[in-house]
Amino acid sequence: MQRPSYTNPPPAHSPPLHHPVPQHVSTVPQLRSPPPPAPQSQPQQSYGYNGQQQQQQGGGPSNYMQPNAFGGFMNDPTAQMGFQVGKTAVMAGQEYMEQNFNRYVNFSALKHYFNVSNSYVINKLYIVLFPWRHKPWSRQQRLSHSVGGVSGQQGANTQDAFYLPPREDTNSPDMYIPVMGFVTYILLSTLLAGLGGKFNPELLGTAATWAFLVVIFEIAIIRLAIYFLSINNESQLLDLVAYSGYKFVGINVTLVLSEVWNRGGGTGGWFGYTVFIYTYLANALFLLRSLRYVLLPDSSPNTVSGVSYTSHKSQKQSRTYFLATYSYVAQLFFMWVLTRNI
Amino acid sequence: MAFLFPSLGLGNIFYVGLLLINGIAIISEDRFLARIGWGSTSAAEPGFGGQVDTSSAKAKIVNLMNSVRTLARLPLIVVNFLVIFYLMILG
Repeated sequence: MQRPSYTNPPPAHSPPLHHPVPQHVSTVPQLRSPPPPAPQSQPQQSYGYNGQQQQQQGGGPSNYMQPNAFGGFMNDPTAQMGFQVGKTAVMAGQEYMEQNFNRYVNFSALKHYFNVSNSYVINKLYIVLFPWRHKPWSRQQRLSHSVGGVSGQQGANTQDAFYLPPREDTNSPDMYIPVMGFVTYILLSTLLAGLGGKFNPELLGTAATWAFLVVIFEIAIIRLAIYFLSINNESQLLDLVAYSGYKFVGINVTLVLSEVWNRGGGTGGWFGYTVFIYTYLANALFLLRSLRYVLLPDSSPNTVSGVSYTSHKSQKQSRTYFLATYSYVAQLFFMWVLTRNI
Repeated sequence: MAFLFPSLGLGNIFYVGLLLINGIAIISEDRFLARIGWGSTSAAEPGFGGQVDTSSAKAKIVNLMNSVRTLARLPLIVVNFLVIFYLMILG
């Protein structure tokens, strides 16, 4: 029996209200009594559903076996009707929310950032922690004029160059590692606070708020700098979020190693400081090499940018200075802020 | 920092931002910025027949401050009023 499609607008389901549902339901219990009253039995639900569809055409996509799980009160025809209406309303609400939410959060772009593989994650972690061993840092592009694209590195100027997803290009920033690092940082810092005997549930919120604020502050700095220094770059916001989230890897490593060494005494001591300085330098070098392609656009002349820039030497110099300052000074401050533990 | 300065909360950061923006909105142009050389005419007008310099960092900062002044005055009045009201009620 064919189910009606789920994308019908709600008014299309109002006919079932006028459909003589109540009269037919009285004969339904005879069909439903053979299956045992197990609430989560899926095969019997489909069996019962097929048995009922012959009596109630166009009954909507609702699952009539739910009444079986609920016991006696759902056999009441009015309650079934109400349940049907409720189900329709919930589905309509979900559609509405999806349509409106898609305007604010670009889900397809997010999916590109989570398109990672295991080998990518391992390689990327390796790069973040040991950045001097990595050779080519430029992101690969795939140029496509039409549907069937021509893959390759920076070729001729076309209109539709998009970057390869993280699965295929180790240099491409992803959101999986930053998100994981963020959550791990929150849990780890709260765990370490608990090991030191100073846990209270508020710490989770405080750590989350601080980490979030650091990320937002960093992105604000970069956006302001892009505006002030006239950097014509179409890099996405999520790219910057991803780049600023990679420091959580170094921070987590610092926290774990220094706590293990100091036996729960905090992140001080010479070992803690050494690990912190090392991860800070590694993160700074990683950012320096990655953000070079974001903030200094004239170093890669083949990218798609039709705007002619009139940049003097002073501008290039100020951009370079900003990049160096951001990678080193700002990161030092932020990483220090986030590793100041008990 | 979350554990060393527990009193620095989210609301305080909001107040800091609000005060900074208030400062940008209040700063007097002809008495202060023109003296420094950040006035709206001196940064936009060229020197001796050159092009209008709108792309340098200084011109952009000046431009940003001017636009903050023009655009943010009215919302700032509202937000300031709300914050003062809130702080007065809650002590």
